[in-house]
Amino acid sequence: MAMKKRRYALVIDSRKCINCKACVVACKAENEVPIGNFRNWINEDRQGEYPKLRIDFEPEQCHHCEHPSCARVCPTGATWQRKDGIVLVNYDECIGCRYCMIACPYDARYFHEESGTVHKCTLCNHRVDKGDVPACVATCPSKVRVFGDLEDPASRIHELLATRRYRVKEPQTGNGPQLYYLL
Amino acid sequence: MGTKLMDRRLFLKAAGATAGAVATTQVGCLKYFKKGRSSVADNREVPTTCELCPNKCSAIAVVEGGFVKKLNPNPENPKSRDMLCARGNAAIKQVYDPDRLKQPMIRVGARGEGKWKPVSWDEAFDFAAKKLAEVKEKHGPEASLWSSTEGFQEVFFKNLGLAFGSPNLVRHPTLCLASVNLAYSATFGTVPSFDLLNAKFVIMSGANRFESIITPDTMDLIGGVMERKAKLVYLDPRFTVTAAKADEWYPIKPGTDLAFILAMIHVIIKENRHSKDFVAAYTTGFEQLAEHVKQYTPEWAEKETEIPAKDIVRIAREFSDAAPRALYYAGRRSSWYQNDFQMRRAQAILNAIIGNWDQPGGMVPNAKLPKGEFLFMPWDEPKAPRVDEIEKHFPLAAKGDGVYLKLRENVLSGKPYPIKAWMVYKQDPMNAMPDQAKTLKMIEQMDFIGVIDVCMSDMAWYADVVFPESAYLERTDPVEVMAGIWPAVVYRQQVVKPIHDTKPNLDIIQGLAKRLGLADYFDYTIEQWVEAEFKELPIPMAAEHMKKHGVWAASGQPSYGKTLNPDHRFVTKTGKIEIFSERLQEAGYDPLPVYSAPVQPPSDRFRLILGRVGYFTHANQSNNVWLNEFMKENDLWINPKPAERLGIRNGGYVTVTSSVGSVKLKVRVTEEIRPDCVFMLHGFGKKSKMQSLVYNVGASDAVILETAWDKVSGNAAFHETFVKVANA
Repeated sequence: MAMKKRRYALVIDSRKCINCKACVVACKAENEVPIGNFRNWINEDRQGEYPKLRIDFEPEQCHHCEHPSCARVCPTGATWQRKDGIVLVNYDECIGCRYCMIACPYDARYFHEESGTVHKCTLCNHRVDKGDVPACVATCPSKVRVFGDLEDPASRIHELLATRRYRVKEPQTGNGPQLYYLL
Repeated sequence: MGTKLMDRRLFLKAAGATAGAVATTQVGCLKYFKKGRSSVADNREVPTTCELCPNKCSAIAVVEGGFVKKLNPNPENPKSRDMLCARGNAAIKQVYDPDRLKQPMIRVGARGEGKWKPVSWDEAFDFAAKKLAEVKEKHGPEASLWSSTEGFQEVFFKNLGLAFGSPNLVRHPTLCLASVNLAYSATFGTVPSFDLLNAKFVIMSGANRFESIITPDTMDLIGGVMERKAKLVYLDPRFTVTAAKADEWYPIKPGTDLAFILAMIHVIIKENRHSKDFVAAYTTGFEQLAEHVKQYTPEWAEKETEIPAKDIVRIAREFSDAAPRALYYAGRRSSWYQNDFQMRRAQAILNAIIGNWDQPGGMVPNAKLPKGEFLFMPWDEPKAPRVDEIEKHFPLAAKGDGVYLKLRENVLSGKPYPIKAWMVYKQDPMNAMPDQAKTLKMIEQMDFIGVIDVCMSDMAWYADVVFPESAYLERTDPVEVMAGIWPAVVYRQQVVKPIHDTKPNLDIIQGLAKRLGLADYFDYTIEQWVEAEFKELPIPMAAEHMKKHGVWAASGQPSYGKTLNPDHRFVTKTGKIEIFSERLQEAGYDPLPVYSAPVQPPSDRFRLILGRVGYFTHANQSNNVWLNEFMKENDLWINPKPAERLGIRNGGYVTVTSSVGSVKLKVRVTEEIRPDCVFMLHGFGKKSKMQSLVYNVGASDAVILETAWDKVSGNAAFHETFVKVANA
């Protein structure tokens, strides 16, 4: 039987984000992220003058791009992409040159001091492969992120992208980012 | 966009600088991990119940190699709505915190000097029992004070205080939500839940629900897992996250919420928008209310609140149009102003007259579930009256909780009688109570102080003996029934064995009881206690179910309207919902909420307001390494206009001075606050060196807060302090 084609992505409803940081701490625990480093974060945009004010929160992490520039610049092929779209780093092959950190338009990678390699969001591939959702998705109080398979027409993210307006960040890079922000 | 990226880079750089320091402290931990590792892999998933705040969310602990690796949300608990917040996730670091209390300790230097001698449990128990017995001998058992905050094992602590013979148990409510509880009880005879999931229109006064997380309210308001939400009108002097997410935000003049609510009632009654059938069938005193609110016009309220009269009228109309799916939300930490009880009473009355009682989208009396009780040997009731003279000064307040600030005044004056021993469980009065200098005086005049805690709180730092409690992930606790619209039973079971020489609270209480000659009252194990509770749960194979799932909830829709029949008697004097309260009148209080304008700060001062963020609620959470990353130091929010006038610059340091103290804080010049207020976050500026991340970093609000309380409930009034701000 032929393997069904998959393409994992995240749809993010930023308006529901309350900046509580649950996703950041859940990721920290799940992926043993060192103190001072982050695989996901929440951007804050504060605007206006009292009393006409607004704050926008925007959760972000690796965009698991269609054409990841990090993989393109990697001299050893340590950064690679699975068939389902998840971009990963093979730590055995990573030489810690950090070209990928510069190539990433989203500043989504960090240098892991202890191992001398570069780390980033794996979309919790170890959880996803067991049929779970990523830790950031599961723990969220307001369920900001929706995880799913774009190739599955019955999936929630497929439905959201078919019925709602959305944007991606830095589309001009040609990376084809796969974090879809609902408008 | 560019600045945002820059900020993050800067932040990472700054965070990297501290990472080294943290790494060194963690080496000790790693060494311990290695020592503890066994050759057989210990990988399990254990359902349990979070203890980082009072919400009691259900979590599933993932154990790998004998260590708690991850906490995942447990979707079976309807109250926690399939989520675990930042604090809940960070509970792992409560266990593996290098600052943790690792064995019992007895003070050897002066109080607060931080010189400790590690001792055996026997030594610690003997020492404490001797001191407690001395105080009892000299001044009677009532000379001991037993302070605690809610928690599944609090019952054992309270029971020891009572068995010892002291009437002086004092709990957290009067530093938190006593006024709201009392106001709703006085009106409805019970404190209801708010059905935010099904509401269409919600008004909140300062209840910053998107930063002060309460389950399921926070998730239901944002349209979380249930994906629907009400229109939200929010009043707060500060532009909080809740303000940012609300449909309408009004930076109300502090302390005037009561005027807003009275004007809403005025409009609703004047325009005949109240629920006439409901008012006639279930309430008493509506006529007096109608007469009473005639004076409170929207135009009058505009002058008080600075909210335009036309908006008050419109909101009142929209609110009554949405009834019964409309709610004036009560809030939780209601310790704000000296009129707090009456403000909450006005909310309750407003809710009552639109008939949202016991309706979907309205206020719903809590459903409960039965639970068994372990029968222990009873003791004689303590004979002495309470030292806080609660019956004389606060006749309506909850006797079992006491009134904290009045109690401190009486302890300091030594009247009606002296208090010489202070036992504290799971509470940090040094940071929880206003006016830290007064609390230090209270500490000074004690012959003995014993503290039971997971970490070296500021209170523990000033104790004579510290008993280290096991973290919640290391304990099995009593079963808890969570009453509510979606009632549930939760169970906390041991996930990993204690990694240090700590004990669950029950074992600590038993150790003390044995030496105080009170062992017979505590002659049971936690297992026996829990078994007895399991027995009467409405679940087949309850013990097995709770151990396997950690939670049980009734399935199906909540049942609304059980109290909506003419024969139902509310637990009030008249058996009706009391709009006009004779009980209040008899006790010497206003039977209907009467507005009096709050004193405003003079032109050279600001009103200090307090609050929380989503990742810090309690004072000890700022020292959690995973949470501290988000904020290393608290700061003072000040509006640019007064900042400019005072020559205060963003990022500089200022002294903030009240009549009782002065602190130094970094400045955040921000548009997100009224010009007449300043704001600081709770939980920094620790005196305890074993809160190493926040020791002497930032400042504690308790240092500058003045002592004031609500007249009816005795609840601390935390927003009544005026401060001077000047460049440091």
